[in-house]
Amino acid sequence: MKDRTFYRVLAAVVALCTVLTLAHVAYGAWAYQNSSIVQFIAKEPW
Amino acid sequence: MKLVKQLAALLAVVAVFALFNFSMYRVFTGRLGNNFSGASQLKSVEVANYLPFQPESDLARVDASVKLTGDLPVLDGAAALVPVYASVIENLYPQGSVTYEGGTFSSDNYYGENFAPDSAMQYNNTVRGYKAIVDGDTDLFFGAGPSEDQKKYAQEQGVELVYVPIGREAFVFFVNQANPVDGLTADQIRDIYAGDCTNWKDLGGPNRAINPVARIAGSGSQTRMEKFMGDRPFGPKSPFALTGGSIGYSFRFYLEGMVQSSSVKMLALDGVYPSLENIQSGDYPLVSEFYAVYRADNDNENIPILLDWLLSPEGQEMIAATGYIPVS
Repeated sequence: MKDRTFYRVLAAVVALCTVLTLAHVAYGAWAYQNSSIVQFIAKEPW
Repeated sequence: MKLVKQLAALLAVVAVFALFNFSMYRVFTGRLGNNFSGASQLKSVEVANYLPFQPESDLARVDASVKLTGDLPVLDGAAALVPVYASVIENLYPQGSVTYEGGTFSSDNYYGENFAPDSAMQYNNTVRGYKAIVDGDTDLFFGAGPSEDQKKYAQEQGVELVYVPIGREAFVFFVNQANPVDGLTADQIRDIYAGDCTNWKDLGGPNRAINPVARIAGSGSQTRMEKFMGDRPFGPKSPFALTGGSIGYSFRFYLEGMVQSSSVKMLALDGVYPSLENIQSGDYPLVSEFYAVYRADNDNENIPILLDWLLSPEGQEMIAATGYIPVS
């Protein structure tokens, strides 16, 4: 793969992963406001 | 060889994002859910389990000597008190006075629970329930005492509310079952929520950050917690506290009798565990009354009849049978 092509693919992959991660963060922020603290504590990893 | 390196670089980028998201899921997102359906919406109680006039409903049935007729008061309440006011309807109201429609979550159906407009049972939970009683949409609200904002809203609307204590309940603190700490003092808990104590190792636990979890403003437990904190303000919380061991608060019966999660445990407070015996004996230090609340200008003639019955031996027997502590 040519360098130019590689960097384009790399940029697209980073952009896609960033969008998905931001969506995950946004979902978490919304769900935290609407969720039970009992479940939040019950599912805590120890 | 170059292609292999390029592919490896792409995979490494994907792996970094995947690892971050997986970690976030483990520590945070995967723990978000409601107590009854596992969905992320705020379903604080499965109302369908407490519908009056359904033989399979988990309600307290007593041999009531009073039956209401005529203008039936519309009852509403906090999530934790759904079993109580649904039991009142079960024992005193005529068949057919409740119409449950279920429903999906929306801005109009915040808890995913719908009752027909003419149903004698409604479910708005505390924040919306206090507004509904002030606005005259319901006749009796069952819940903990009001927050300052809720009192202020009633004053602004020129409404006087009457609070009738009908039972008692313990306010409890809880942690994950795997947390080795079994009890705290009241001052230690205030230190935690004020932000002055941030690690479990200072409380006899492991070297792990403390995540003090709070509830939404205006909820019954949040109002009770603000009273418990007194003059001490809630401190700011580090975002890294999310990775720590959490502590939360609730009312005992809601936690132990309704949600029934075996993955959390209640903490002893000042050396006293919130068992039913310790609450009834008065040894457990944080016991609050809960109320039936109505507008002073509500002239529904069934309200005093209902309240007199609730405070009678029959009514208090029903309170005890739901899992709460009688007021007398």
